[in-house]
Amino acid sequence: MPQLNPEFFVSQLFWLVVFFSFLFVFLWRVSLPRIATVLEKRQNKIDENLSNAKKLQEEAKEIEVNINEKIKIAKKETDDQIKKIITSLENEVSSQLSILDRDLEEKISKSEKEIISNRNSQMENINDQITDITKTIVSKITDINLSDSDINKAIKSGKEYSN
Amino acid sequence: MAAKDSPLKQFEIDPISNIELGGYNISFTNSSLAMLITVLVITIFLTITVNTRSIIPSRMQLISELMYNFIAQLLSDTVGDNGKKYFPFVFSLFMFVLIGNMVGMIPYQFTFTSHIIVTFALATVVFVGVTILGFVNHGIKFFSFFYIPGVPFYMHPLLIPIEVISYLSRPISLSVRLFANMLAGHTLLKVFAGFVVSMPFFTGVFPLAFIVALTGLEILIAFLQAYVFAILTCLYINDAYHLH
Repeated sequence: MPQLNPEFFVSQLFWLVVFFSFLFVFLWRVSLPRIATVLEKRQNKIDENLSNAKKLQEEAKEIEVNINEKIKIAKKETDDQIKKIITSLENEVSSQLSILDRDLEEKISKSEKEIISNRNSQMENINDQITDITKTIVSKITDINLSDSDINKAIKSGKEYSN
Repeated sequence: MAAKDSPLKQFEIDPISNIELGGYNISFTNSSLAMLITVLVITIFLTITVNTRSIIPSRMQLISELMYNFIAQLLSDTVGDNGKKYFPFVFSLFMFVLIGNMVGMIPYQFTFTSHIIVTFALATVVFVGVTILGFVNHGIKFFSFFYIPGVPFYMHPLLIPIEVISYLSRPISLSVRLFANMLAGHTLLKVFAGFVVSMPFFTGVFPLAFIVALTGLEILIAFLQAYVFAILTCLYINDAYHLH
């Protein structure tokens, strides 16, 4: 097996030390710090973006809260106005209604009075005519001249009897 | 079988240019070339892809970042915050083994991770480093690592040697795992490639199909072994911090 031939052991070791040392020093001093700075830069950028995003999110939240508050206030105001309008309308309606009621009542009472007065006057007329008719009938049949007071008494007793 | 057709021939080291230093043969070989290619691939890729340093990564930059995060996650999962110091080392180790394995998957390319001396050297660096780390963190108390609490006292004469042996065999298990996987995979590929050539036309299709499937498996193993190497290193580092 060529691997166990010690002829080139020293040469192998020598060049291994040379090349590996060079590789180690080069990577240690040049390549790895470069990659590390790139990675660090990227991480910083990511962190920065993340913190920015967080800040913006907070701002957005604040704005949202503000908007919600404004909406709440606006809603309250409109509600108040609607309520105010409704109550004022109700008041007007009720006042108009009461005025209407009063008018109607007045008219009703007036007409009632008129009806009563009419009836009374009519009743008086009817009584007078009844007296007249009675007087003429009685005088025509019996030749007795009755006084008005007698006839009235008779009507009254007749009414009491019929009652 | 003739030596030139041996499936192990691919692991032979050929010097490209002969160099000698202080009496030692340190020739630049095909293995060294594979290491050079590996190192170049890693450094150039990680340099070019991250060159723009853009916050929104390109696809290539994303690959580099994925690798970075993969190992960083691995370290933080196994070791925790203490592990950050060792990130460059674990990352280098992972990338070196991973790209070394991948370069080895290119046909006619040499796989340096299939050489026990290379993997053993890497594992020894990990082992020695972790042991030093353990002594730095815990001083002489580091030896209590071999003492398992909550075990009947008469078991200790048996358990302590077992623990010591298992600790000392860490570099061996770590290096042999990677070496043997690479060796076996590449040998198997070579053996079946030999079947494709030596078999008649129609039957040769079957080993070829097998090679295609096996290549996929080998790429998976290349990644898996690099991952295992890295995660075991992380676990050893963790052991150096938390004895039990």
